[in-house]
Amino acid sequence: MKARQNGRGSNDALDGCENDDPSGRLLAKVVPLNVRAREAKDRMTVVPARSSEWMRPVNSQEPASAIIEIDRVSQVFQTSARKDHLALSDISLTIEEGAFVSILGPSGCGKSTLLYIVGGFVRPTSGMAKIRGHTITGPGPDRGPVFQEFALFPWKTVLGNVMYGPRQQGVRTAEAEAQSRALIEMVGLKGFENFYPKELSGGMKQRVALARTLAYQPEVLLMDEPFGALDAHTRTRLQNDLLNIWERDRKTVLFVTHSVDEAVFLSDKVVMMSKSPGRIRQVIDIDLPRPRRRNELLLDPRYQKYVVDIERMFDESDEAGPFS
Amino acid sequence: MISSAVLTRRAAPVLACVGLLAVWQVASLALKNDSFPTAIEAIRAIPDILGDRESLTNILASLRRMAMGFGVAVLVSIPLGLLMGRSRGIAAFFNPLLMVIYPVPKAALMPIIMLWLGVGDATKTLVIFLGVSLPVIYHSFEGAKAVEEKMLWSGAAMGLSSAKRLVRIVLPVALPEILTGCRTGLVLALITMITSEMIARQSGAGNILFNALDMGQYDTVFAMIIIVGTMGICLDAIFESVRARLVRWSEPQFDMPLSFS
Ligand SMILES: Nc1ncnc2c1ncn2[C@@H]1O[C@H](COP(=O)(O)OP(=O)(O)OP(=O)(O)O)[C@@H](O)[C@H]1O
Ligand SMILES: [Mg+2]
Repeated sequence: MKARQNGRGSNDALDGCENDDPSGRLLAKVVPLNVRAREAKDRMTVVPARSSEWMRPVNSQEPASAIIEIDRVSQVFQTSARKDHLALSDISLTIEEGAFVSILGPSGCGKSTLLYIVGGFVRPTSGMAKIRGHTITGPGPDRGPVFQEFALFPWKTVLGNVMYGPRQQGVRTAEAEAQSRALIEMVGLKGFENFYPKELSGGMKQRVALARTLAYQPEVLLMDEPFGALDAHTRTRLQNDLLNIWERDRKTVLFVTHSVDEAVFLSDKVVMMSKSPGRIRQVIDIDLPRPRRRNELLLDPRYQKYVVDIERMFDESDEAGPFS
Repeated sequence: MISSAVLTRRAAPVLACVGLLAVWQVASLALKNDSFPTAIEAIRAIPDILGDRESLTNILASLRRMAMGFGVAVLVSIPLGLLMGRSRGIAAFFNPLLMVIYPVPKAALMPIIMLWLGVGDATKTLVIFLGVSLPVIYHSFEGAKAVEEKMLWSGAAMGLSSAKRLVRIVLPVALPEILTGCRTGLVLALITMITSEMIARQSGAGNILFNALDMGQYDTVFAMIIIVGTMGICLDAIFESVRARLVRWSEPQFDMPLSFS
């Protein structure tokens, strides 16, 4: 099967090249898109339960208030061998509205599990998670997950996948389609709208998963290593795009990653976890100016120091870990 | 230009049928048995059957019962199988019941059902229904069980209720597996259709066949076998084309040859 590349500029987006400043170009597209989507939601007849809350425009002038509180959460899994496995132990964490928080930790330390608890997909064994003071009892459109495994709908095309959320929330087809096409272009998949997930590469699937979640405009993004399967170019480009979206909308983002660079580059706060059982080792505030530009940041000694310090802590925790 | 691979694929089923008839012809000439007519004799008898109004009515009645039993079975079995696949409680309740019914040959139930419902359409349709239900339930169950959890979570995050997730996520994801069950069900429908008419002799294609057998009209017997076989091939081809259209998104993209020589 061959990609249909309709001339202008669509192919450079696919390669992830940045020579003609895609971030600037993309911004222009993202802004009207979001405005349009908000208007669409205001006109909606089917209103989801917590709509009044998740529609509230977030204003960066407001004093930061806690949006998500994780309160002494522990998670015990029963393994197939009928043993109890303590995956998370006594996690407490407060996430401020509009903050970009990364969770960093070795494989198997319970990062995904923590994200599932905030998403309402998994109920913690003890403790609780709250969103805006309400205990989380289940999933909702105010929290949008991007799973490590993509979990695309295989019977839907790329466009169908991205449109699914907005359609579900009562956005009219034409509107949902226009928004979705813009998002697909933003993640660099223009020309692939009618492809089925099985016809996409791993990195492409990941980008569709990202677009699918952004499409229904959740207030909190829960991203589980969303750039894990991407090549370095696309990864950098999508990091920039994510930062741009975030700097516009100030969505709250909970972002799981293995990469120290990525965590420092994107976040206000990096939560470092240690393994067995999963605990919070340290929370580091990343005090770097925004908007962040990658080429400036890489030369910034403060950025370099954060990366080096966190990497050192990582090594120490590896040495201290019971399995090493 | 049609490539040779496509040509082979198109010609293969025709070749298979012709080959089978040729083997039959040779075997029957070699055996010289009265009760084993040649393929040509059997084929000659077909126009007589299809030209006869009563036979035609009988065959159509068979097909109607089959369609009815198959249709109702599919409509009932798919939701049941999907529910069983997604709810341990429902599965725990129905599994033992199904395990009791599964190994029983459905035709063996005929005499009892006949006592209740008579020898008419109801009995035969019910038996076809039973025959079709089990594979469809089983495959729907397996298909629903295999649906990736995170897909359902994604739907839940978009605000789909659990009932909607069953219809709008589990059903489409499980569809290829469900259709595998339906295909087995279709074949079983044909089998139970004939056997039911063999037991409750009253009307139908099976009735023609076994009456001819009683009267020693072996060319009619074999002609009926060809007719029923052709019905099977046609139904399966129709089903396959519908299926391929419904689950195009899941078809493998590459032929996997048995060896890469
Ligand atoms: N359903 C489950 N049943 C039993 N144990 C589980 C289950 N899910 C996770 N675990 C265990 O919990 C721990 C944390 O798993 P989790 O998937 O949250 O790790 P992670 O930090 O996301 O790892 P990675 O970075 O590799 O994705 C692991 O030790 C894993 O074995
Ligand atoms: Mg994980």
